[in-house]
Amino acid sequence: MKRTVPLMIVMVGGILMILQYFIPHQISQTIFAYYTDWTPIILAFALVLGVGSLTRIHSHKIRRKSKNWQYSWAVLIPLYLMPVLAHIWPGSLSGGMDSPSIFHFIFMHVQVPIQATMFSLLAFYIASAAFRAFRAKSALATVLLLSAIIVMLGQVPIGELLGKWFPQTGLWILRYPNLAAKRAIMLGVGFGMLATNLKIIFGVERNWLGGAGK
Amino acid sequence: MYETIGIWVGALFTLAIYSFLYKENPIYRLAEHLVVGISAGYGMAITYQITVKPRLIDPLLSGDHWILLIPGILGLLYITRFIPRISWLSRYPIGFYMGTAMGVGFPLTMKANVLRQVEGAMVPLYQSGMPWYEVLGNSVMILGTLAALIYFFFSKPHKGLFFGTGSKIGIWVIMLGFGATFGFTVMGRISLLIGRIQYLLGDWLHVID
Amino acid sequence: MSAVNIWEKMLNIDRRWIFLGIAVVSIVPFFINFGMPVVTTTEVEDIFYYMDDLGPDNAIFVSFDFAPGTQAENMPMAVAVMRHAFHNNVPVFMTANWPLHHGMMLAAMEYVFNPSTVGFYQEVPFDDWRELREADVTAKGELVEAWENQGNQLSEGALGWVFEGRDYAAMGYAPVFNLVILGMTVSIETQYPVDAHGNSTGEMPMLQEHKSLREVDMALTSSGSGACVWWVTYAREKIGLPIAFGLTAVMATDYYPYLQAGQVIGQMGGLRGAAEYEVLLAENGITPSTDKAFTGMDVQSAAHIFIILLIIMGNLAFFAGGFHKKTLLKGGR
Repeated sequence: MKRTVPLMIVMVGGILMILQYFIPHQISQTIFAYYTDWTPIILAFALVLGVGSLTRIHSHKIRRKSKNWQYSWAVLIPLYLMPVLAHIWPGSLSGGMDSPSIFHFIFMHVQVPIQATMFSLLAFYIASAAFRAFRAKSALATVLLLSAIIVMLGQVPIGELLGKWFPQTGLWILRYPNLAAKRAIMLGVGFGMLATNLKIIFGVERNWLGGAGK
Repeated sequence: MYETIGIWVGALFTLAIYSFLYKENPIYRLAEHLVVGISAGYGMAITYQITVKPRLIDPLLSGDHWILLIPGILGLLYITRFIPRISWLSRYPIGFYMGTAMGVGFPLTMKANVLRQVEGAMVPLYQSGMPWYEVLGNSVMILGTLAALIYFFFSKPHKGLFFGTGSKIGIWVIMLGFGATFGFTVMGRISLLIGRIQYLLGDWLHVID
Repeated sequence: MSAVNIWEKMLNIDRRWIFLGIAVVSIVPFFINFGMPVVTTTEVEDIFYYMDDLGPDNAIFVSFDFAPGTQAENMPMAVAVMRHAFHNNVPVFMTANWPLHHGMMLAAMEYVFNPSTVGFYQEVPFDDWRELREADVTAKGELVEAWENQGNQLSEGALGWVFEGRDYAAMGYAPVFNLVILGMTVSIETQYPVDAHGNSTGEMPMLQEHKSLREVDMALTSSGSGACVWWVTYAREKIGLPIAFGLTAVMATDYYPYLQAGQVIGQMGGLRGAAEYEVLLAENGITPSTDKAFTGMDVQSAAHIFIILLIIMGNLAFFAGGFHKKTLLKGGR
């Protein structure tokens, strides 16, 4: 019941779904339609797991007064405030200028600027890394460096002004050697995914069972 | 008024995050935590309003879609994860999703990431009227893909004409590709900074268009 | 002070000076405004001309598959394609693969429909034109005529009317988006019984005309996540839906194999890709001017030159100081 049935569900579900792809019969299409209809509903509940563990971690920190525990309130308050606000003003979920609401305000004017700025910090760090770590120490490193510089110049208007060959060579690198390298990686990843799919379907890979019960 | 207050709040949070560049500080830490809470809370609200309510609760309450109790109950089983005695029940919805998702993905991944790629690699090296850089490019693409594949093939030692030379060519091709990725990464990071500067100087201070 | 010490000092410079440098080169060009030309590439032109051939009988999806973190790159792409579609009266279904991405979809609508945006479109919410819908006036041409006959006037500066349910549907987020894509190959309405505004999608004329992805002509995924792959795997490979990519620069190089294999019709890579689309829109008279992505390209030029100089200086100091022969440098801040 605890391990065998879930493993059976995986195997039956997996094989059924592979078969339905190759058998476009009415029955298989109906099963497929139900499946795609129901699964998003089931998976919507998975969000509760994330919210639950976030709550557990931060309430634990607050209870134990761990280092920087005060900041945990900054996680927990908006975590529960947002759904409450959305419930009070259901219309606010859709945003828009005509119906300003606190819910939409918090997303647009707190979440968006913070997240966008956090990502933009990387511009500063990549500049620093370019100065400190990007060295032409070997022939291969030099190739990488030259390829990067040509592509960087090729992608901006000033590269075009410095010489037509910058964008042309940059595009050539992207369209041929870059493509070759990325295709090899894609094939490798593709085979890896297929192998993992089969391992999960046939119960060879069972890590997903986790430690819940035996 | 609503917009103006919003932009001021956004600008202050933007500056708070940038203060990290000088030194780690409490305002940055506060913003960092807020982001986690708001995104999860936003997710809960949207998921309920757009999926759970119209696709499960409303049809069930209308009384003629009892079959939806099946996905509803399966979904609820996720929550047993928090009750140690019956937490194993959460394996049922996980198993259902894992198995079916793997099954659905198998033939399509095979097609998208393997078969189409093999097909795409079969291009003519030369055709009349083809410019020299395309002939060279196609040759580099075909041989480069094979060489890079050899480089990633670790079941044989990289020695001899085929595996040795192949893997050496492979790593050169890979480095060219990674160089291009680095160049694009720089571009991407700078673009994100540009976005924030446009916000601060344009939307907030109105000193640029 | 010996020469070696100068190089060592240079390499151990406080990184905050580099931060200051990148801030300066990213701000100054905004005030000088070089307006350097952006030359378009086939990667972007292919999307543009494909889109340009579509009309009111077609429909497209614009999928907001990015979070606020990458909005600077992804938003201009999505906005550009939305404007192109509205100009040609092509109905646009808007989706999102994650809750935060749903917010980005709403932000894009706010931008395109905002009267303060140059070249905005004037939105008519679904409920506002209910009467006309019930009178079976749903074709775009007669709808605009009937709407204006009711005394509604297009605001100054607006490029046209867009009717919710006729020209666009904000579908938004749904969980397990790869399966949602698969589900939409059967029925869009099953996956989205209501849209982000709570409207019943079944009542929308555009959904009645395009019931599943099989009746749709293109999907643009403006993506900062792996969701772009889902569109190829689950829509392109399942039913042959033409896919266009709008990718962050970091991801752009990884998907050239899809482009070359013909699995995607074109790809906009990073801010540059978005700027190219803006140039094509402006050159073809679809928008009155270029937008934020194009403006950012001057800064992009300056910043790239600055970073290349940093790489050269870093290498110069490293080799001239003889550090390639020595043990590790002391780390700087």
